[in-house]
Amino acid sequence: MKYTIKQILSGEDELILKYKKLNPDVEHILQFLNNEQEKLNSYDDKTLIRLEPSDILYIESVDGKTFAYTMDKVLRMDYTLYRLEQLLKDIRFFRCSKSMILNIDKVKSLKSLPSNRIDAAMCNGEHILISRTYASDFRKRLKGGAHYA
Amino acid sequence: MHKTKQKLSLWEHYLTKEIGIEFKACLYFFCILFFYCVYKLVCGIHEAEILHMTEMIFLTYFMGYIQVYLLSNFDEAEHLGRKEWIFMLLCTLVYTLFSYLFSWFDRNLAVSLGFLFYVLTMYLCAFMVYKSKRKIDEKLLNADLKAFQERGQHE
Repeated sequence: MKYTIKQILSGEDELILKYKKLNPDVEHILQFLNNEQEKLNSYDDKTLIRLEPSDILYIESVDGKTFAYTMDKVLRMDYTLYRLEQLLKDIRFFRCSKSMILNIDKVKSLKSLPSNRIDAAMCNGEHILISRTYASDFRKRLKGGAHYA
Repeated sequence: MHKTKQKLSLWEHYLTKEIGIEFKACLYFFCILFFYCVYKLVCGIHEAEILHMTEMIFLTYFMGYIQVYLLSNFDEAEHLGRKEWIFMLLCTLVYTLFSYLFSWFDRNLAVSLGFLFYVLTMYLCAFMVYKSKRKIDEKLLNADLKAFQERGQHE
């Protein structure tokens, strides 16, 4: 397959893929691009890391800064929680409090607490509290409802 | 839109608390009424005084508000710690004191003492019922979580 790389001095980065018929090579590239687009920019100190959403345990906003917690790292993100809610339009992610988004797939077990609150034990051993305000939507989400609009 | 949603959630929050108090008032009123009726039957009286029942209803509502807003809703607590025991004893004493003042049991000290133990048992039972309810809820929650995660793996 022939390809051309051209550096531009202004304007938006763009990638154009021309093909006559879908073939394994093109499909492979498309799959790579789709996966890449789903990844989120995050920073470990100043190093840019393209973070796979499925690696995130939860995202927390502290003093106006957003952090993504993975099994072994805490990464800073440039997005607001609201923006992340839009980017992660996946039912696997749930806004569990004003300052937190939770990856339901990374929850190990749940505990029902007094006053209709829920304690989520994460697979790294941390515990996250789902407040009463969000608990009923969380229950609906588990049952397959209450998707992001 | 967001503000309306927030207002609605505050309203829902308030309503949930009110329903909780309502439920508590009904539950404890029924328990106290049962003791009162048994006492009356033992005394050979087949009528219950409306005044006493009204006092019971108002008192159980009042105690419901105190429990929820001032005493950390102790009967729904996760564990029975020192604080919960103190609150439980305090409410038991208040109920016993009012039963004496309102002369529900003809100011009979022995019956009042029996009522004190009865109210304490009533609170302990309520605590256990709430705890069992949460255990069942926890089982359902974890089953839903597992099903959700399995659905995700198959997608």
